[in-house]
Amino acid sequence: MNKNMKILVVDDFSTMRRIIKNLLKDLGFTNIQEADDGSTALPMLQQGDFDFVVTDWNMPGMQGIDLLRAIRADENLKHTPVLMVTAEAKKEQIVAAAQAGVNGYVIKPFTAATLKEKLAKIFERLG
Amino acid sequence: MTSSSAPMSLDDAKQLVVMLESGDNQGAQQLLDKVNDTNSVELFEEVGKLTRQLHDSLNNFQFDERIANLANEEIPDAKTRLTYVIETTEQAANRTMDLVDNCMPIATKLNSEINAILPEWKKLLSRQLALGEFNVLCRRLDTFLEEGEAESGKLNEFLTEMLLAQGYQDITGQVIRRVIELVKEVEDSLVHMLTMFGETESLKITHISDKQADSVKAEGPILDAANRDDVASDQDDVDDLLSSLGF
Repeated sequence: MNKNMKILVVDDFSTMRRIIKNLLKDLGFTNIQEADDGSTALPMLQQGDFDFVVTDWNMPGMQGIDLLRAIRADENLKHTPVLMVTAEAKKEQIVAAAQAGVNGYVIKPFTAATLKEKLAKIFERLG
Repeated sequence: MTSSSAPMSLDDAKQLVVMLESGDNQGAQQLLDKVNDTNSVELFEEVGKLTRQLHDSLNNFQFDERIANLANEEIPDAKTRLTYVIETTEQAANRTMDLVDNCMPIATKLNSEINAILPEWKKLLSRQLALGEFNVLCRRLDTFLEEGEAESGKLNEFLTEMLLAQGYQDITGQVIRRVIELVKEVEDSLVHMLTMFGETESLKITHISDKQADSVKAEGPILDAANRDDVASDQDDVDDLLSSLGF
């Protein structure tokens, strides 16, 4: 895992962004930026060379699932791994996220160990 | 006008029979008209009464102070209260994390000091420490104890503040409880309105089709995951579902 990779954390609650950011820092990642919903995140992704996206689902403006679909539809972004970290736990939602091409799905509340495990899995699969 | 009441009084009937027997047809007709008039007046009175009742209840419904109050004050007030809950919980979370940020370096420093002193200390206990090293160890221990006292005092202070920061739960809990009461009241008013205008059936149907269309719509934290079979109750459930999809 490249610890210098550029990560975008997308969540409408600043406290949750802070918690995820702190956990990522604990795991050794320091190059982290934040966005408060999909419509803020998408232009950031299109302009910056992000290696990884961690996003919430339920946000005002553009929702996480729509951000995921937009990333997969964008020729330059479609290979960016996306981890969904959300309180949305309906099975249909998880299936929808999988069909939209999510790389991992963590439900809130989560532990540092879960986040670490999912991150490791994603990067292992990507090689 | 009940079905049990007589269509005309007995006296009227007897008089009618007398008139018919004596061939007084005109008198009999007048008597019958009089009886019918009385019945009509009763009917009109009854319809009038019902109309007034309907009018009054519609008026009352429209000007029901409680409903006006709900719409004009309590609902906006509830929005303010819920915004307050978001702000308060955000503040508490940030305050707690600030305090954790303050505690971390102190704990790290104490730990690294102890790790540095420990080997020398073990050497002292097993009488393997030279006099020169002993003097260095003493000075180091002295500094460590003095700094340690101040630092652990700070830790104590930060932890107490962290404890106090959790007081938000009490406050927000109370606010949310009041909003729940308000929602209950609004629900009761709506049910009352539905019974009054009797459109329960058509409303139920729209509600169901809305639900079907929005099964993937964001719902927020699931408050009753244990009672629902359409949600994943924990991360293991999510992982199982995803692996069944080939993840």
